[in-house]
Amino acid sequence: MRRRAFLSGAGSVGALSLAGCLTQVGGGGEPSGTLTVATYESFVDSPSSSPGAWIKDNFEAEYDDVTVEYVTPENGVTNYVQRRQQGASVDADVYVGLNVDDLVTIDATLGDDTRLFREIDRDFVPNAEHLRPELEFGDPRSRVLPYDTGYISLVYDEGEVDEPTTFADLTDPAYEDALLAQNAQSADSGQAFLLWTINEFGTDGYLDYWRDLQANGVRILGSWWEAYSAYLESQRPMVVSYSTDQVFANVDDLPMSRHQIGFLEDQGYANPEGMAVVEGTDNVDLATDFFDFMLRGETQAEIAVRNVQFPAVTDDQVDLEDSFAQYAFRPPEPVSFGYEELEGNLSGWVEEWARTIASN
Amino acid sequence: MSRGERGDGTGGGPSADDGKRAVSTDRALRGLAVAATVVTAFVLLLVLYFPVGLVFAEAFGGARPFDSFVTTLTDPFYTGVLAEVFARPLAVGYHVDNVLSWFGGVSVGLDGIDTPPLRKGLFGFTAYQAALSTVASVAIGLPGAYVLANFEFRGRRTLRSLTIVPFVLPGIMVASGFYAAFGPTGLLNDTLALVGVGPQQLIETNPLFVVILAHAFYNAPLVTRVATAAWESVDYRAVETARSLGASRRRAFRDVVLPQLRPAIATGALLTFLFTFLTFPIVLAIGGLELATVEVWVYHRLTETLAFEEAATLAVLETVISLGVTYAYLRYESAQRAASPGDGPPREPLFGRASDVAGSPAVGSRLAGLLDGRRLAIAGYAVVVFVLFVGPLAAMVLEGFTDGSGFTLRHYEFLLQRQATGASFQTKPLPAIRNSLLFAVATVAVAVPMGLVVSVASTGEGRWRSLLETATMLPFAVSGIVFGIGLLRGLVFGVSLAGGWRFVITGGVAIVAAHAVAAYPFVVRNVAPQLAGIDHRLVESARSLGASRVRAFLDVELRLAATGLVAGAAFAFAISIGEFDSTVILASDAGSYTMPVAVERYLGRRFGPAMAMGTVLLVVTAASFVVVDRLGGRVERG
Repeated sequence: MRRRAFLSGAGSVGALSLAGCLTQVGGGGEPSGTLTVATYESFVDSPSSSPGAWIKDNFEAEYDDVTVEYVTPENGVTNYVQRRQQGASVDADVYVGLNVDDLVTIDATLGDDTRLFREIDRDFVPNAEHLRPELEFGDPRSRVLPYDTGYISLVYDEGEVDEPTTFADLTDPAYEDALLAQNAQSADSGQAFLLWTINEFGTDGYLDYWRDLQANGVRILGSWWEAYSAYLESQRPMVVSYSTDQVFANVDDLPMSRHQIGFLEDQGYANPEGMAVVEGTDNVDLATDFFDFMLRGETQAEIAVRNVQFPAVTDDQVDLEDSFAQYAFRPPEPVSFGYEELEGNLSGWVEEWARTIASN
Repeated sequence: MSRGERGDGTGGGPSADDGKRAVSTDRALRGLAVAATVVTAFVLLLVLYFPVGLVFAEAFGGARPFDSFVTTLTDPFYTGVLAEVFARPLAVGYHVDNVLSWFGGVSVGLDGIDTPPLRKGLFGFTAYQAALSTVASVAIGLPGAYVLANFEFRGRRTLRSLTIVPFVLPGIMVASGFYAAFGPTGLLNDTLALVGVGPQQLIETNPLFVVILAHAFYNAPLVTRVATAAWESVDYRAVETARSLGASRRRAFRDVVLPQLRPAIATGALLTFLFTFLTFPIVLAIGGLELATVEVWVYHRLTETLAFEEAATLAVLETVISLGVTYAYLRYESAQRAASPGDGPPREPLFGRASDVAGSPAVGSRLAGLLDGRRLAIAGYAVVVFVLFVGPLAAMVLEGFTDGSGFTLRHYEFLLQRQATGASFQTKPLPAIRNSLLFAVATVAVAVPMGLVVSVASTGEGRWRSLLETATMLPFAVSGIVFGIGLLRGLVFGVSLAGGWRFVITGGVAIVAAHAVAAYPFVVRNVAPQLAGIDHRLVESARSLGASRVRAFLDVELRLAATGLVAGAAFAFAISIGEFDSTVILASDAGSYTMPVAVERYLGRRFGPAMAMGTVLLVVTAASFVVVDRLGGRVERG
């Protein structure tokens, strides 16, 4: 699974997106044709454990004349951003695996005149009403529907260190040279952790906190996997990761003592993933049908287990497997920034952070 | 076609008929040469200059064309203490004062020299780690060349072939191998524990040291390879002459052998510096952001934050520096006297008693102690090489055969199963192997003629020659990321043409073209010095005996440059097998991924299968290099 970051705007609720609907093309009748779904590699990569194959099979079983085709563009959605920018064609109908930061970066890059994704009319996605409001992206143009979420937390080895419970703990000598984090420019988990510290210390204080972290020997690697594999190699006793970590540890028969979850300040940074319709596609009807299918309780349960993320719909809609419920933890207090808070700030925050870390 | 064959074919001596045929083949050959030149120019224009120019053009996109450069050069984050110099270039007195006060702060004490802090900036740090990596690579690589050129032992040729293998391994895989070998619970510490030595925290305590080791892993074999080739063609008759005139062993080495090796060592050092100056996957994987180089910065700007102008500005500056270094080197190279190709040193057996080697028994017993000392040093060197090179690879192979609980074949089972039942959007092992080999062969077929054309074009005299050569070395000086992004935006996305047409290239042809562009400078670097070293009287004699210019080139110059050509071909093959950055961008259709791309795609949560695929890559490439080198050896001898 490729764990992508990101987050929600608490407060900006689904109801808002009903304003300014677009009219659906056609409507009625059995949809047909090919739906090209762009997504990230691990969403489709393993037939037995990725959600992709299950979704394709079950969606196609329901709609006889429909074929689902997956594409996995290199560098994900930034590939399509560049394509749009250069006037090249975008070879997909929908994109699955979008984060709020992606959306902010897309808008900052393409400006107001060029659209990569179109507005979704939620009237045609009845299951969207079950979405948990805190996972909504807060997009002023209502382009995205969340379909699952992860929470950034610490994963630690209880044989090596005590449970870290506050941000201050991490700069304590007891945790010297203990933490593995990720580059906020390239890793979603790294960016989520950075935003979590900004949420905690504010824009005036976060760089000081990071200087303290550096002084205490934090190591920052390029991707979640590099940091996590360094953790698996026992290089360090603590890593920035996901609160669903024990689900993997359980599947892989790893010792649970080495996969303890630490929620700093009783928080976890929420990291919802969303899906959107590509502007200019002829398959809007089919895309909305697909989205409704994605948000159905049965599909949500399957995505949760296969993608090892929490469902995006309310608990009463989903029956989760016992093992998932047992090993996946929700933070007492999920935190996150929404579109509005990130807009115009994100790139500056990340840039300042990177310069602080790389200064030499 | 050799002269012998032609003679036999007509069944007699040279006749008028035969002469006519020679003229017509010559004409055909000249046509071929012209065509090769035109195709080379076209490929370079389309796949190198156009895409790179596209990215560079972004750098000049500001309000005034050079604004972005001023901003960058005067930012201490990028240029450290030099930022002030760039900001106020005319305040010479002020800068001199600064330099003096810095030296004033230097104190020499019992712990050595203590210097006040010096802010290097991103460029300064990048050059600093590249310089350290270069020193390490030369220090580790050169003794290898000495052993390979001066001693005979079983497997010498195979070992020589294998020196190119590290070159093709994807960075992320090598980083994984380094973790597995040198990490706290790695192979090295497991081994040390057996002999009772406590765990070493190499990666933890000194990541810069590990980054430099990893750079040496890539580049020391390159130094070895280039220097071995030069050492093997040193004219040893001159050494014998010097010795017979009374020069000591050491003196003869310094005055005769070393000057002939120096250009090759310099080439190895230059390439190492360029590659490590433009490094990024190793730094990213081992050093993290704290050891960020300019290239790491460019990478993030281009692929994550989409800040093209800033990235392009940095890329232009990077390229200017790299080209500057290359130009300086080429000036140096042309000032070196051309080596007259010889047969290299007589090789001693590495194993066996010293007395078997030496000429007379009396001298033999005297030399025995000395020789054994040398062999001891070689044994020590072998241990270092074994730990540094075999360690990470062995650790990687082991990872492919183990899981948490011990030995397993399930990672290979996964590959087989993926091959048998994988869906069209999934990455299968066999097509990856097939594509890799296919692209590599095609790359050799394109890059070798290209390199030859460029070598001939740049074998002239004087300053212009260095400039032209520098320009053709552009692929060395442009970072892989810039090249990749240029290809993506220029060729994969396509360019709008008049009349609503779009010019788009993707797939295998584009990949081969990109690989050839990345590889041809290696052919040039191996062939051009040899061409330049050819005694012109030989060519002139051929011409005066009636050979056309093309014929003289093919029969005289090309044959004398054959070793360089073969070496260049091996590099072209290696570049193609190992290339990742542009391949992954151009392999947009599912059918054109290669082995490194497959390894990269399997790395995710599937560490085992990725390492298994890495092992397959290792085996396939090692085997093909042994084959390439053996075939090459035949060409060299024939």
